[in-house]
Amino acid sequence: MSEKKDPRKTFGEALVVAGDKNSKVMAISADSSSGSQMTMFKNKYPERHLEFGIMEPGITGICAGLATTGKIPVFATIAPFVTGRNFDQMKVDLGYMKQNVKVVGRCAGLSYYHLGPTHQSLEDVALMREIPGMTILNPGDPVEITAATIAMTEHVGPVYMKIGSDPMPVLFDEANYKFEIGKGITMKSGSDITIIGTGTVLCRAAEAADILEKEGVSVRLINIHTIKPLDKELILKAAKETGKIVTVEEHYVSGGLGGAVAELLAEEHPTKMKMIGVNDQFGSNGPYDELIGLYGLLGPQIAETCRGMLK
Amino acid sequence: MYKLTDAEELELKKIAVQLRKNVLDIIKSGSAGHIGGALSSTELMTALYYKVLKNIDPANPKREDRDRFLMSAGHKCLIVYSALAEKGFFSKDLFNTYFKLKSKLPGHPDMHKLPGIESNTGSLGHGLPIAVGMSIGLKIDKSDAKVYVIMGDGELGEGTNWEAAAAASHHKADNLVVMVDRNKFQLGGETNNIMNFEPLAKKWEAFGWNVRSIDGHDLKVIVDTLTDAPFEKGKPSLIICNTLKAKGISFLEDTAASHYWKVNPEQVLQAEKELEAVAKELENE
Repeated sequence: MSEKKDPRKTFGEALVVAGDKNSKVMAISADSSSGSQMTMFKNKYPERHLEFGIMEPGITGICAGLATTGKIPVFATIAPFVTGRNFDQMKVDLGYMKQNVKVVGRCAGLSYYHLGPTHQSLEDVALMREIPGMTILNPGDPVEITAATIAMTEHVGPVYMKIGSDPMPVLFDEANYKFEIGKGITMKSGSDITIIGTGTVLCRAAEAADILEKEGVSVRLINIHTIKPLDKELILKAAKETGKIVTVEEHYVSGGLGGAVAELLAEEHPTKMKMIGVNDQFGSNGPYDELIGLYGLLGPQIAETCRGMLK
Repeated sequence: MYKLTDAEELELKKIAVQLRKNVLDIIKSGSAGHIGGALSSTELMTALYYKVLKNIDPANPKREDRDRFLMSAGHKCLIVYSALAEKGFFSKDLFNTYFKLKSKLPGHPDMHKLPGIESNTGSLGHGLPIAVGMSIGLKIDKSDAKVYVIMGDGELGEGTNWEAAAAASHHKADNLVVMVDRNKFQLGGETNNIMNFEPLAKKWEAFGWNVRSIDGHDLKVIVDTLTDAPFEKGKPSLIICNTLKAKGISFLEDTAASHYWKVNPEQVLQAEKELEAVAKELENE
């Protein structure tokens, strides 16, 4: 884990590439272009950038209307305002109407660490999972953010993608990296225990796997960048082959990645599980690493949770 | 602006009676329905589908250059089903599936179930934002198509309408024409008592729209007004259409009770007689 990159800037640069590839791609702003790094797109394609100010439910409907005319609107702003505040529009205008709109929740999870629960989004995946046909992407490093941004504009149908704001370490080799919606990535193929990470804390899961490997534990590390549709095959195989599953996410443990994996395993292959994330409480505030440490999301803490399961 | 001749007006009046008959035919195969708003907007729908909307083609319902119509108050779908079937978008045989399992005619319209429906409305305050997006999208494409919306007056309480109202004028969506079906009643009673949005015209004007107020049952005035839009270059157009809830059925007219009517077979017979009498009168004109 050497180089770190700004996830928002990475998204903004990738959006320009997506715009180069397809002239139907548009950037939609709720006074959020600077904060979501869509200014690069705006400068290059001013006629394909629309500003609406702060009216997220209205904008979500407007995006659906634009999509009916063949445009591919990419609407990016602070995560809770494009999942919770506008939930009815996400459900009806994008889900029920099956419109080809891409919604990006940035500064997701706890990454507004000083601003508190109004700006944190610990429930966004849980909300979006309940919308039939909604694809949910949660890329885990800058290489994956780039690939996911382009893939979502090529995918036909509504997509919710979340990104954080803290600089992210580069985990993947760009030259050999392949992104496919709905297909998880096995980063380590051990057999004692499986750690499944997603999004901003995939790097913490990877750190925990490294710690455990040094202690002689054979760890399987899986990156689930698509929470819906879930890569059931990959997860069931890991459950059968390692017998222990730990999920790691910057989200409530209910309704998110942990919930999705638990629902799958409960029916298909009951397996010993631990779900690391935030329990039923509003997020606290403070420096980012200290804050996620409150919820056991630091690498050494994840390793300790795994040790508990291996006893 | 298009001026209806007396003969054309008579023809449209006959169609309006037929559309009301269709509404009754649909509703009587179920047990209830939102009849009040369907009948208050019948003349608006008649004018739209028989004189105003361009390039509406049942054989090619997704024609790119078509004018779009959205019923934002999706509970008024009975009149939408009535008009689309009368125009040939689907068979009237579907009427008797209303309220049946997996019917293509649910209590709110579904664009994936029937041709000719442009959006899935029902949850109030959704139609106008979607229409604004369509209007902007069509302008980007340099299309001449217009977007027409009927909103309920009770629906105006939803904040998203005012978000969309600001967005439409900010982005100069002068290809957008919105009719407020001002029938003055919503589920629980009179709109002005439940939440007063008067002075309505001034509110829309303050949001940057060009506003007119008309008799929403006078077909000549409706066609004049709709075909005169945009009323001002660079501005969206808003028409306050003063109407009677459940217009055309005497015992339901101008009542909140007609908002969601539980069907009574004797009353259906009486309503049918009333519509038949109007149809005969028109035949003799």
